[in-house]
Amino acid sequence: MPNPRKPERSVVTTCAYCGVGCGFKAETIGGRVVRMIPWKEGKANHGHSCVKGRFAFDYYDHPDRVRKPMVRNRIDEPWREVTWDEAFAHAAAELKRIQATYGSGSVGAVSSSRCTNEEIFLMQKFARVGLRNNNIDNCSRICHSPTQFGLSATLGAGAASQHFDSILQADVILVAGANPTEGHPVFGSLMKRRIREGARLLVIDPRRTETADSPHCRADVHLALRPGTNVAVLDSMAHVIVRERLYDEAFIRARCHWSEFEQWMQLVGDARYAPETVGPEAGLDPEDIRRAARIYAKGPRSTIYYGLGVTEHSQGSTGVMCLGNLALACGMLGREGVGVNPLRGQGNVQGGSCLGSWPHMFTGYRFVTDEAVRKSFEADWKIALDPEPGLRLPNMFDAAVAGTFKAIYIQGEDPVQSDPNQNHIVAAMRSMECVIVQDLYLTETAKFAHVFLPGSSSLEKNGTFTNAERRVSMVRKVVEPLAGLEDWQITVRMINAMGYPLHYDHPSQILDEVARLSPAYQGMSFPLIERLGSVQWPCNADAPEGTEVLHEKQFPRGRANFMLTQYVPTTERTDDRFPLLLTTGRILSQYNVGTQTRRTGNVAWYAEDVLDLHRSDAEARGIQDGDQVTVTSRYGETKLRARISEKMNPGVVYTTFHFAQSKANAVTSDLSDWATNCPEYKVTAVEVAKVPARTEAPQRVPAEAKS
Amino acid sequence: MSHGAAPGSGAQSNRPVIELARLIEMANQIGDFFAPYPAGPREEGVRNHLRNYWDPRMRAALLAHVHAGGAGLHPHVRAGALLLLESGRERTAYAGPPKA
Repeated sequence: MPNPRKPERSVVTTCAYCGVGCGFKAETIGGRVVRMIPWKEGKANHGHSCVKGRFAFDYYDHPDRVRKPMVRNRIDEPWREVTWDEAFAHAAAELKRIQATYGSGSVGAVSSSRCTNEEIFLMQKFARVGLRNNNIDNCSRICHSPTQFGLSATLGAGAASQHFDSILQADVILVAGANPTEGHPVFGSLMKRRIREGARLLVIDPRRTETADSPHCRADVHLALRPGTNVAVLDSMAHVIVRERLYDEAFIRARCHWSEFEQWMQLVGDARYAPETVGPEAGLDPEDIRRAARIYAKGPRSTIYYGLGVTEHSQGSTGVMCLGNLALACGMLGREGVGVNPLRGQGNVQGGSCLGSWPHMFTGYRFVTDEAVRKSFEADWKIALDPEPGLRLPNMFDAAVAGTFKAIYIQGEDPVQSDPNQNHIVAAMRSMECVIVQDLYLTETAKFAHVFLPGSSSLEKNGTFTNAERRVSMVRKVVEPLAGLEDWQITVRMINAMGYPLHYDHPSQILDEVARLSPAYQGMSFPLIERLGSVQWPCNADAPEGTEVLHEKQFPRGRANFMLTQYVPTTERTDDRFPLLLTTGRILSQYNVGTQTRRTGNVAWYAEDVLDLHRSDAEARGIQDGDQVTVTSRYGETKLRARISEKMNPGVVYTTFHFAQSKANAVTSDLSDWATNCPEYKVTAVEVAKVPARTEAPQRVPAEAKS
Repeated sequence: MSHGAAPGSGAQSNRPVIELARLIEMANQIGDFFAPYPAGPREEGVRNHLRNYWDPRMRAALLAHVHAGGAGLHPHVRAGALLLLESGRERTAYAGPPKA
């Protein structure tokens, strides 16, 4: 094999896949990216990488990329290519017409966690100054919004308490509802390294994941609970800690409110949370719950990493609070090797949360109902702002179905594939009069769009990303945007078209505006990040170069809060018609809805979504490995290939949602978290049946398949 | 700059912004969370959550239902919703339930 030609140019940038945010050198020949080399100095990855960041980059110039703006009057008409000016004028005219007809609140926007902090900030500014309402949301709504809610409620800050390297000082690692060796592989390697050094591993996950059981990673205790029982199991661990007096009284008295702790102790100490009661309901041996609780409490340094298996439930926010309560009770916060840490899915989900792309919050997690905060934005932007919270993304779709929401501007999101209860989302899309999609490709959602604005990949723009450890890193332009504009420039033009004058010469000016208006980002600037390589917020006068570990001396509100986390079972139940529980997740080589990775060579490693099920469930249905099966829920139906898997417990089935044609979200419910409306992706009652050979599946084709 | 008067207004019909059954389900879920709190903080928790997280049209539709008898709502959710009508209960930086 000949040596590759020497690259002509090398640009240090940040990977846009998972929330680890690895540093890479993107290298080009003749203006084309030819390789991605993991960057040794990257503080999130120290020269490590995974098969997505390393190899799955050629999506950026795939032939499917759209390079011209397009419009059409109806979704059954063909697209018409137009100039950028025409596209912006058309989009703005439609938004104004719809607001004049149906009211100011009949339109909204959603930002993308694959875009930069600066672009996300501009999207919320678009809603607030362009639409003059607060109907703005970000995609963490459907993944980690319960993190922001649950960690804010307990600890006072809705973000990871540690930096990644802190795990190298942990004695006990509790992984709940996450599978870092596949979902966050570079962090997973760091975890394996610590396990090799002797750290103990506790895993809470319905599946025997790679993290729970693989050659370099084996859980000391694996709580393979029944999907939907997280809160009961975590409360039961708390029960053991309380009843056996394993808590850290000195820490609680110094850092929390003792009266709140007593109230919490009364709740979780109740007999209904005893392992002997919770165990049978959750499908666990009570002794395993006791062992896990004792190991965690004993530490001496115990840390928690968790993912969407905790958040994507009707009690997602409560589950996150349970983790906060556990860490507080055992004094596992405010130093190295401990903490509570969300593993975030997309490259910039933390940024999506921080940058005020919320219907109820400005940057820095401050309420729009807070007059002093709102006035600071009004003074800077010289415009009166809506003082009321707006619609959340699921609310927007519900309102669309109810006929009160008529237009949406979607930046780099594909809700028709990624959001739950696909039939409901499609009905919402069809009822809107103007759908504006800004993306790289004609996605599933673009099938229902009236305006298409061709966006730019993270290789084609300047800006910053904030990873899961609050680290703000540079995204640098490697190649020119294929359609001519970086995403932030598109949104600026949209804001201008709505009648609000605005101009930036460079994204650094947008970050300066963020810093001016947001306490945690106060000291951030492009020059600082250039000088240090990356900076973790909070970054301000007290911490001019950022902060690695949160809560060292005190919590943001002074003391932390114990929350009462009563277990409320989901209303999604199995019965005779739907006797199995479906849960969903991801695989190493593919990413999210696959928009990018499906357009790379990585499909060679994973070419379709499959349904994993236990041998006994398969045999009871006459299903053999490799058979085509239908998966039916109360909400819809889809077809997948079955795979008999030792990773599954009887009664639980599992699939990924990387491929549009498998329509995993045709079957998921529209139940959601009580606090944030984050969808309950992780629990759906289903039945699985074999598709007879060489005949079609039953003709219950969902509506959108006809278009 | 001449940017219009009061923003955020402009619902034009009496139709609920979201189907009522969905709002009742969501409100009761919020009630389920606050149920273990003592009377007082329990209702205030419901009120604060609705105030800071719900679009005003969603709150208005829920309140209209409460005034019409509030069928299907937990009693403390009805009481919490009615607290929305009392002034002087504004909080600036609410992120969870009230202190125990």
